[in-house]
Amino acid sequence: MSEPLLSVRDLSVTYHTKGGPVPAVRGVSFDLEKGGSLGLAGESGCGKSTLAGALLRLLPEGTDVEGQVTLDGKDVLTLNPGGLRAVRWTAGAIVFQGALHALNPVQTIGQQISEPMLVHKTVKGEKEAKTRTESLLGRVGLPASRAGAYPHQLSGGQRQRVLIAMALACDPLLLIADEPTTALDLMVQAQVLSLLSELKEERDLTLMFITHDLSVLTYACQRLAVMYAGRIIEEGPGREVFADAAHPYTRGLAAAFPTIGDMSSRLAPKGLGGDPPTPGNLPGGCPFHPRCPLARQECLPEEPELRPAGGGRSAACILV
Amino acid sequence: MGRKALGSALTFVFVLVFNFFLFRIVPKDPIGSLFRGRNVPRETLENLRAAFGLDEPVLTQFLYYVRETLQGNLGISYQSRQPVWNEIVDAIPATVALVGASAIFSALIGTLLGIVAAWRRNTWKDHSITSGTMVFYSMPDFWLGMLLLVAFAVVWPIFPVGGMVDAGSSATGIDLLLDQLHHLFLPALTLTLAYLGEYVLITRSSLLEVMGEDYLIVARAKGLRDKIVRRRHAVPNALLPVVTLTAINFGFVLSGAIAVEAVYSWPGLGKATADAIRGPDLPMLQGLFLLFSAAVIFFNFIADVTYAYLDPRVEE
Amino acid sequence: MTTSLAMQRRRATAGRMWKQFRSSRQGLLGLGVLLLFVAMALAAPLLADVRELNPVFARAQGHPQWAPPAEFGPLGTDYIRRSVWAQFVWGSRVSLFVGLAATVLTIFIGSVVGIVSGFLGGRTDGVLMRFTEWFLVIPFLPLAIVLASILGRSVWNIIFVIGITSWPGTARLLRAQVLTVKQRLFVDRARSLGASGWHIVSRHILPNVSGLILANATLAVPISILTETTLSFLGLGDPASASWGKTLEEAFVNGAMIRNAWWYFLPAGLGILAVVLAFTLIGRTLEEIANPRLSGER
Repeated sequence: MSEPLLSVRDLSVTYHTKGGPVPAVRGVSFDLEKGGSLGLAGESGCGKSTLAGALLRLLPEGTDVEGQVTLDGKDVLTLNPGGLRAVRWTAGAIVFQGALHALNPVQTIGQQISEPMLVHKTVKGEKEAKTRTESLLGRVGLPASRAGAYPHQLSGGQRQRVLIAMALACDPLLLIADEPTTALDLMVQAQVLSLLSELKEERDLTLMFITHDLSVLTYACQRLAVMYAGRIIEEGPGREVFADAAHPYTRGLAAAFPTIGDMSSRLAPKGLGGDPPTPGNLPGGCPFHPRCPLARQECLPEEPELRPAGGGRSAACILV
Repeated sequence: MGRKALGSALTFVFVLVFNFFLFRIVPKDPIGSLFRGRNVPRETLENLRAAFGLDEPVLTQFLYYVRETLQGNLGISYQSRQPVWNEIVDAIPATVALVGASAIFSALIGTLLGIVAAWRRNTWKDHSITSGTMVFYSMPDFWLGMLLLVAFAVVWPIFPVGGMVDAGSSATGIDLLLDQLHHLFLPALTLTLAYLGEYVLITRSSLLEVMGEDYLIVARAKGLRDKIVRRRHAVPNALLPVVTLTAINFGFVLSGAIAVEAVYSWPGLGKATADAIRGPDLPMLQGLFLLFSAAVIFFNFIADVTYAYLDPRVEE
Repeated sequence: MTTSLAMQRRRATAGRMWKQFRSSRQGLLGLGVLLLFVAMALAAPLLADVRELNPVFARAQGHPQWAPPAEFGPLGTDYIRRSVWAQFVWGSRVSLFVGLAATVLTIFIGSVVGIVSGFLGGRTDGVLMRFTEWFLVIPFLPLAIVLASILGRSVWNIIFVIGITSWPGTARLLRAQVLTVKQRLFVDRARSLGASGWHIVSRHILPNVSGLILANATLAVPISILTETTLSFLGLGDPASASWGKTLEEAFVNGAMIRNAWWYFLPAGLGILAVVLAFTLIGRTLEEIANPRLSGER
């Protein structure tokens, strides 16, 4: 069995704010095999976007990042600046959420897609960059003429496609999609999702898909991990985790969102009450117990570890 | 662009009207006060009044004023008895040279310092730049001029004490130019230091806002070096408001140099204003005021057009 | 809501603001310097004899002319034998007074225009804003010069002139703030309850814009002081008052620079610099408290 493309061990991220240190990610570990796909789900504030940023060391200066991140055989967290820059976008690239400000307002989208190609010298010159950019635009469903457009001239869905094209500019091995369908309407969401799975097949990409909407992940991902309060609290094969979740939080999360294509689920959402804890202010014991319908005495005082829950899954709950 | 031009023209009309009525606030009789204490035959006074059109009803005076102004006739200076227009035109080149040089240098240096201050936010570099410029910005510009004058023209006389050329000099060509530059240095230095602060602050806060944007993280994620991220992504976005400021400032700096020109006896519009105040030479003041306002309107217009050209988000 | 509850809340907010202010080094520095100068201005009669400002008195006292501090303390004498120290101490009164009074006028006019314009909206807003725009275009210093030349040289005219020329900036700022506040629900609720316009303005709008007014006022004082200084330097100041600007004018006109009589023109300028810096620091701190994003946090 070959090495996994991405291997994360005990990753912890602590922000330093005026109000004190905030542990956004607390000891996360997982592996991602080459060609596989991992979905990472959780509500806002659970640390998933921080995790994505940590993988390529994109977090603000002064943030503590501990642990180990091995991407394509290289230990990302200890690379020198030059090595880090070389790895970025070529080994792993991020498809950011397509808000207007993920793109530079004063550059054309063609320039922004070509830029990494020229920086990493994956093309021989400007002309080749232009050709490749246009073919990438075509592949994501945009006319080549849009290369001269500015970000504010595109719709939300178009901008998301541009970000996908841009992420593919240097043929990365790993593609991390951070909330790529949020803020898009349902029809466009479906289009973007199918585009991503097609691209994965074509280019044999390894995909990591981050979202708060669990239903989006069901068909796209081989494995599914659920995060809560900075840790992974359930992990396993995608379909099983969704259909028969072991952890009460996952069950609540799955019920909260309508499944794409399944109208009945839209009519009976059984969401989660309450709010997720703020990272600096965790309740004692299992961080979910204040909102958990099955909470009991034994949920305190210690935080449960991940334990096997059958069917290749693990969950961090004492009930497992 | 046509609409902006029309807006500017309308504003100019407003200024014209305002200018006229502003000077009619004074209830005193300017001719009388000019010759106060001297025995002048009444007939002479009446003739002068007629010559200045001061005996007509107000509306007639206004129409006369508009017609004459548009033809370039801004009246006669009380002090020099020369046409105001001529006096003003003679003074323009000196001010343009001084203000132009100062505006360019303060914009360039100020912007650069602002970029450094923002990029290295909260380091000693940032604090020293921000504090230093705040100090310069908080002092009267003419007082700074006085200090520099004493330091570099009196105590350590490497620069002249005032004027634009050495008195009684008959130099021409290159020698004349060098002499003028020699005289220009201290006043230009004064104005540059005085206006630096604004550029530093605006650039710094503009860049800080840009630095919070996601597309900078994206740029880093693509593997770009810090310098390139700054130069290609952060700064161009941050500079948009600065460019506008520079253009607008040029219009205002024109009138901001009044006190500094007075300190250095620099023969420009500012000195003309300072001299006119001592009269008060009302026709001169009126003409100068009109010019200063027109300059501001003009450069505001230029700033608007430039911004629209530079920012792709502005639709025409 | 009873007034005592509202008062309690306001006191709590003020207390919070003060605590935040206290933690800012630049704010405290500014406040300290300002208090120092205010104390000096108030204690002027104790620090220097006001008769020293009168050249006849000075000559009668037998003071030397152009004497440096070593010869005649603490700050030497000027061209007509007057004590520079006395001018410095008494000048602080005029400069501070004019600066503050002019700012009060500016803020008053600007606030009224801005609040009325923002609150009433519609045509009134359009007209007032057009008027403000035009005033913004007119270059500030030439206008001040022209008005001062026409109206004559007195302290009150100077205050009036500065107030009349500086209000547009405040008006614009406040109008924007009022528009933001207007969008909040409780104003609509108050309206639907039949509250009069005045009631809404005083009970709801004013408390929400007062912080902004305060910060803006504190930052407007430096402009007023510097303008008064410049106008005095150009000869438009009140001949009877001894402001710092006037001191600089007299120093300049009587050749203090050629003689390198640094004791004559240095103190007044330093005084202006210190007071302006103090107000700027305080104003920036207040701004940061009102809008935390400015301090560089995200």
